[in-house]
Amino acid sequence: MSKGERTKTKSQSAREKIKAQQAEARAREKRRRVVAYTTASVVAVAAVGLGVWYAASISRSEEAGAALAPVTVQPDGSVVMANAGVAAPVVDIYEDFQCPACKELERVSGPTFKNLAAEGKAKVVFHPITIFSQEPTKSNSVRAGSAARCIADGKQWMAFHDLLYKNQPPESEVGFTADQLKQWGKDAGVTDPGFDACVTSNKNADVQLAYSKKVSEEQKLDHTPTVKLNGTEIDNPVLFSPSQLRDEITKAAK
Amino acid sequence: MAASLALPRATTAIPWVTTVARLVLGGVLVAAGALKIGNPADSVVAVKAYQLLPEPVAVAVGYALPILEIVVGVLLIVGLLTRVAAVIAGLLMFAFVFGIAWAWANGLRIDCGCFGGGGQLGVGQEPTYLLDILRDFGLVLLGVWTVRFPPGRFALDGALGIGGDTGDDDEGDDR
Repeated sequence: MSKGERTKTKSQSAREKIKAQQAEARAREKRRRVVAYTTASVVAVAAVGLGVWYAASISRSEEAGAALAPVTVQPDGSVVMANAGVAAPVVDIYEDFQCPACKELERVSGPTFKNLAAEGKAKVVFHPITIFSQEPTKSNSVRAGSAARCIADGKQWMAFHDLLYKNQPPESEVGFTADQLKQWGKDAGVTDPGFDACVTSNKNADVQLAYSKKVSEEQKLDHTPTVKLNGTEIDNPVLFSPSQLRDEITKAAK
Repeated sequence: MAASLALPRATTAIPWVTTVARLVLGGVLVAAGALKIGNPADSVVAVKAYQLLPEPVAVAVGYALPILEIVVGVLLIVGLLTRVAAVIAGLLMFAFVFGIAWAWANGLRIDCGCFGGGGQLGVGQEPTYLLDILRDFGLVLLGVWTVRFPPGRFALDGALGIGGDTGDDDEGDDR
């Protein structure tokens, strides 16, 4: 082996060594990038997941208990749901059967109102009004409100009320037709033989509109749902968070 | 820097354009999400007002949209996972364009609910569909640009060397 050859081998192995080091450095760098990329992705996905979970958890509805507090339809068409002797705190619910936010309130916090009343922790008063002034929403709302006024029995009224929200028509279409309302009345257990005629003739339309006007002016309502606790409006973030709503109302009971 | 001698100025400008696109798109998303996140119920009602999605899906979208907008917006602003974030942002904006066009075509009278609020319009209020669509379509284009030329200057992707065309050269993108 000549000297020249040895030098060549030496420099060759040195070059290979450098090459290997470079490859290792590249691999290290690649690993670092993968770790950085993965970490960032995981954190981002976790943040979204946490946010969704939080939104879902603050709006989580209570389970409606089996028992309903006694429900009484008042002469003016408002409806009281309270155990005997419970006069405070008063929770006034001003809502429109056609209003989507009212439907959302019923979905999210409806069971809480029912439970609180059944537990004797509140006197809940429903005021179904017509807040819409444009068609087709106005007539939809009036037909539904008028039909609810055809029911004198509290328990049937509450079942009908729940069915109306469950079957609320879109705001762009004519809905709450007489036929539908009669069917839902039957489903709600209405037995009054005069119910169908009362619904078909839209008999209580004027009363519904007059009541809506009167209540809206007295209570200075500009949106539904408006819920007042002993006369003070409950803000939306509390209203649409069942656990906070329960706290607020039970606090007022003390 | 010597990548293209033919159009040196255009080549230097591209990453800066991306940065601007990222900031605008990300800023809009963060603002839109932040205005909605405090009240999931409003968000759900706004989604339902489009009458486009079945009830359970609309509820899920109502809950998820605000936080998704904020996270994707923040990623775009800091330039992290730029390309993926821009794809999601672009798709979101495209979905909004579609939704608003749907509402318009179906004769709904709603507020787009883009920045909170939403739902049926009151008397005397007119929908602003065209404006909403043009704005969101412009944002789609910013998303497309960012997907094509990520991550731009001042991007964490560049600093970390992850993702994006310019992330691979060793220029020090955040300078």
